[in-house]
Amino acid sequence: MKQIVGVADMKVSNNPAESIITYSLGSCIGIVIYDPAVKVGGILHYMLPDSSIDKTKATARPYMFADSGIPRLFKIAYTLGAAKQRMKVYVAGGAEILDQAGFFNIGKRNYLALKKMFFKNHVMINKQDVGGNTNRTVRLEIGTGDIYVKTSGAREERI
Amino acid sequence: MTSLQTLMRQIKDLTPIPAVAHQLLAVVDSPSSMEDIADVIQYDPVITASILKTCNAAYFGLKNPVESIKDAVNMLGTDQVIELVLIKSGAQALSGNQQGYGLAQGDMWKYSVSSAVVTRLVAEKLSLKNKNTLFTAALIKDIGKIILEKHVWDAAGKIRHLVETKNFSFLEAEKKVLGIDHAELGSMIAKMWKFSPRMINIIRHHHLNDASKICDKEIAAVYFADCICMMMGNGVGSDGLAYRFKHQVMRELNLSAADLVMIIADFGMNMQEVDTLLHMA
Repeated sequence: MKQIVGVADMKVSNNPAESIITYSLGSCIGIVIYDPAVKVGGILHYMLPDSSIDKTKATARPYMFADSGIPRLFKIAYTLGAAKQRMKVYVAGGAEILDQAGFFNIGKRNYLALKKMFFKNHVMINKQDVGGNTNRTVRLEIGTGDIYVKTSGAREERI
Repeated sequence: MTSLQTLMRQIKDLTPIPAVAHQLLAVVDSPSSMEDIADVIQYDPVITASILKTCNAAYFGLKNPVESIKDAVNMLGTDQVIELVLIKSGAQALSGNQQGYGLAQGDMWKYSVSSAVVTRLVAEKLSLKNKNTLFTAALIKDIGKIILEKHVWDAAGKIRHLVETKNFSFLEAEKKVLGIDHAELGSMIAKMWKFSPRMINIIRHHHLNDASKICDKEIAAVYFADCICMMMGNGVGSDGLAYRFKHQVMRELNLSAADLVMIIADFGMNMQEVDTLLHMA
């Protein structure tokens, strides 16, 4: 069965028959986490780095932002038995339009927000496919922990 | 290079956007009464039937059936009915698949509707007039891709080479390899379909490859909304985000990076609306 993670959305599962997929990451970031010992994994698809711009929106849609979405992703995985020290982390997205610089580069800001949070909380990224000008779709198989990425117009590849 | 005659022949084979869309745009962005608008829509029986069907669908849970465009306007409001007509007009032309751009069935349509919704958000933020024209321009701006996709498919290797190794934008690579880009071709289609000069102009310049057009606020608004949709990724193809971001647009529209973030967040809150519109068409 396929669980779809929309934009500003998150799904966590411990059902080995399921796969979790998020489509069309442009400047948005998809974080995939997976604990192989308990076969618990999830994907968060966030749009923006920082929820402080609008607390009302952050309350209504916490998965829209890195700072409000990422802690929830990990916490929900922990409630299903996942442990931080065993967690494999994969990051995709954060693409940018050509010549998009400085504060206007939302893709890069999204990635920096995540790096900052991971650094503070001692979370290591195992693999990543970020930046560039491509659109990515990411899928996680809960039973195996295999992660697949597909860029628009190309075939899905296992990473 | 692609011969102009070949392209013209392919344009003639396209199913055009129904005339009601042009007639509606001609009245809605000037002061007009609800009766004027209803008159224009009623002139097209297919669109009228389709609107009534949408209104009467279980989706809205109506007690009394909607039997006329006037009823529909009373129920949904004028703006919503106008948008429905425009959406339904564009649906047929834009809902196929475009292999050359790596777009599966419905991807371009999803992108187009998202683009129209974001353009409305931008137009409201900037208090621009002609919001229905801008909504429609955003909806159909990529129409050129429908024809160009076959040629892009045939020349995919060359185009990709220019984009990946020579710092070309996808649009620049189309122009270099095929002799025409999708914005230019789109404006030719719009011209043959007798769209207004303003609409043709917006389609022609929606990637702002001609820097002198940046000072046109309507073009700049559609361009800016397109950038946001590219970043959000919904329905984006193999051309990805390989277009140019013009920082000057932000100055021209008097928008900061914080405004950009807020508009993206507003769109995040409005995503459901895109699904609703897709469902209606």
